[in-house]
Amino acid sequence: MPDHTNRTGPLSRLRVLDLTSGVAGPWCTKLLADYGADVIKAEPPGTGDDARGHGAFPDGVPHREESALFLWLNTSKRGITLDVRTATGRALALRLAARCDAVVHDWRPAEVAALRLGYDDFRAANPRIVVTSVTAFGQSGPYADWLQPNLISFAAGGQHYLAGDPDREPLQSAGYQASYQAGAQAFGATLAALWDAAQAGEGQAVEVAGMEVMASIMELYVPDAAYRKSEALQKRRGNFMSAAVGIYPTADGHIGIHAMPKNWPQLVEAMDARWMATDERFADNRARLMHDDELSAALYGWAATVTKHEAYERAGKARAPVAPVNTVGDLLESEHLRERGFFHHIEHPLAGSLPHPGAPARMPASPPEQSGAPMLGEHNVDVYCGMLGLAPADLATLSAGGVI
Amino acid sequence: MVWAGPVATRFFADMGAEVIKVESARAWDQLRALHFLGGDTEQWWNKSAYFNHNNRNKYACTLDLQTDRGRELALRLAAQSDLVFENYRANVLERLRLDYDDLRAVKPDIILVSMPSHGKTGPEAHHVAYGTNVEQLSGLASLSGYAGMGPHKSAIAYGDPNAGAHAAAAALAALHHRARTGEGQHIEVAQWEAMIPNIGEFVLGYGMTGTQPEADGNRHFSRAQGVYPCAPDEGHSDAWVAVSIGSDAEFARLCAAIGRPELADDARFADVVSRRHNQDALDEAIAAWTSQRTQREAARALQAACVAAAPVLRIPELLQDEHMRARGFWEPVSHAVAGTWEMEGVTWRLSRTPGHVRVPPPMYGEHNDWVLRELLGLGDEEIADLEREGVTSRAPDLSVHA
Repeated sequence: MPDHTNRTGPLSRLRVLDLTSGVAGPWCTKLLADYGADVIKAEPPGTGDDARGHGAFPDGVPHREESALFLWLNTSKRGITLDVRTATGRALALRLAARCDAVVHDWRPAEVAALRLGYDDFRAANPRIVVTSVTAFGQSGPYADWLQPNLISFAAGGQHYLAGDPDREPLQSAGYQASYQAGAQAFGATLAALWDAAQAGEGQAVEVAGMEVMASIMELYVPDAAYRKSEALQKRRGNFMSAAVGIYPTADGHIGIHAMPKNWPQLVEAMDARWMATDERFADNRARLMHDDELSAALYGWAATVTKHEAYERAGKARAPVAPVNTVGDLLESEHLRERGFFHHIEHPLAGSLPHPGAPARMPASPPEQSGAPMLGEHNVDVYCGMLGLAPADLATLSAGGVI
Repeated sequence: MVWAGPVATRFFADMGAEVIKVESARAWDQLRALHFLGGDTEQWWNKSAYFNHNNRNKYACTLDLQTDRGRELALRLAAQSDLVFENYRANVLERLRLDYDDLRAVKPDIILVSMPSHGKTGPEAHHVAYGTNVEQLSGLASLSGYAGMGPHKSAIAYGDPNAGAHAAAAALAALHHRARTGEGQHIEVAQWEAMIPNIGEFVLGYGMTGTQPEADGNRHFSRAQGVYPCAPDEGHSDAWVAVSIGSDAEFARLCAAIGRPELADDARFADVVSRRHNQDALDEAIAAWTSQRTQREAARALQAACVAAAPVLRIPELLQDEHMRARGFWEPVSHAVAGTWEMEGVTWRLSRTPGHVRVPPPMYGEHNDWVLRELLGLGDEEIADLEREGVTSRAPDLSVHA
């Protein structure tokens, strides 16, 4: 049972109303919650968050309380049911917002207008409120009302085209990476606006658009195209930037090598290939780029003779940037992560004990903590009666009316 | 330095904080060397777009932290600061005697943010990794790829911007904690650990099933989705549109939009499950329609019919994209040496206190005088001495990143 009164994280004085579903919004509010904020997650009565329908599920059997995606993205939150499309539900959302520091939603502008739950509506209820929207395309512009699952903002943001093999279709990264990035930035942006609200005594609207977030993390590709107006870099390169930066098969799996010019001596040492240190074809960075195929052949040859963990261990001793391509199973068995106490097991009443990754940051003076995700409507009494002062009989009326 | 740290501090610079970047002739930012302009370009270290995009809105000074005087001045700067960010290897700050305890001695409530790849503790803390390695360590590369073709990297050094966003957010959270308690702290964002949450559902899923799903290209286990070839646009034949279909209603709308209403009644595509089982055949039908249109025509037509779709934009097209233009995302910047161009704007869009590209990216050592004179109160003679002794400098040692 989550303890929502004794939170250790840095945000333990903040309260947030979470009106999101899926991945981007829930990731933002999960971070708020794991970092200590009291996050009240409102889900549509009946079905709840869409993510509840997505696996994996224990033994492969779908169950809306046992979705891996939902259980991961909604830790540490209190869960209520609320249909904001009803007039009563809308009024309850505004009453809740009056008791919160921030509201997070993931509605497109047409949805905001239909619900009449824009920044001005929330501000009327609470002038200090920060209202964050996290969507693929933002609250304005020609695509703002486009439908927007993860693949769509990944494609529009520029990264998709450049990933994958040159002779095949563009390849997206696994999972929901565009949504995760939008959610992480919405978390930061919300904290910046809350910081300002604490000084100014006034909130504001915060907007984070996945397409912009993805366009802003295009490494050297956006800078080079914007500045040099060159298209030289704008093509898919498979698993290799050059021979020295890529993924190679080992005897038992794969490793990744990322040797910048200054890492060359360490790479040679890790490979125990003294001949490479004196070979003129590899004498300096320019020479290595001129003989990229030969270098590639040497690296393929070496990688095939080692296991990924042998390569990693040797690279560690030599301080060479070489990493194993870990599977999820490898992570859970990693001695390093175990010693650092990174994974936590959280017991769920139905789904059982499951491993959860720790927080992205370690904050010793105010450690983030995770408790289990809420069952659908688990905290209705807690929130509606305890916080808003409704009588239990009112809850029955709201439930019968389809509001909660 | 490089990408992760500068991304983190750029968020603060964009939000209006005074961010001072410290370099030295023998430890200057490697991104300055990734310029693609040719080694004979005058002052190329001030013209790297990769550096300039990630350091706009900041100030830059030089201090050789390996000298006593440089270290002492860095501590005096820290004493005036709320936050210190570093992304050196795990033990460098300690070696420089600029670790958390040293900083706390001059500024008791300082917030220090460290961003080592593997963390400062644990048996692998001494390992070295860049952003692509972080993606490999985290499990993401093993989950990504074309079906049956092994792991695949993303297009970018993904570990960096991910750690940068999380470091900035954690620093803001620490400011909230400090406001309440008066207490600073030493935050650690291990880039490997910061990436694993992005595949968190696979970790819980592994706990449920003991397996991880096979990589399956652009496909999704419950949606019928992929990228489909389009007609050449402005001479580019490598053009694609992404389409993602979930519910039966979405599928019916797709069938109508591509002029194949009969497919909605086809037994192979009758429900969510059969569409996933017969996706190769469905892909052919979608591709036959998309290949007659440009990626933008296809995306617009599908979205007009309430079907999720988007052009798989090339970067040059992204820079001209009508949506980004309408939102004013690309902002102009003028730089004394590098010239005038446009860069990405501020992704944290705050309505009352908006951030913009206000200060051009700093040239190497550009703000030495301001930092030494105004912030540290040094006089002309001392400033000249520092330069003579090599504590400060006006040009980097080019042999460092040769």
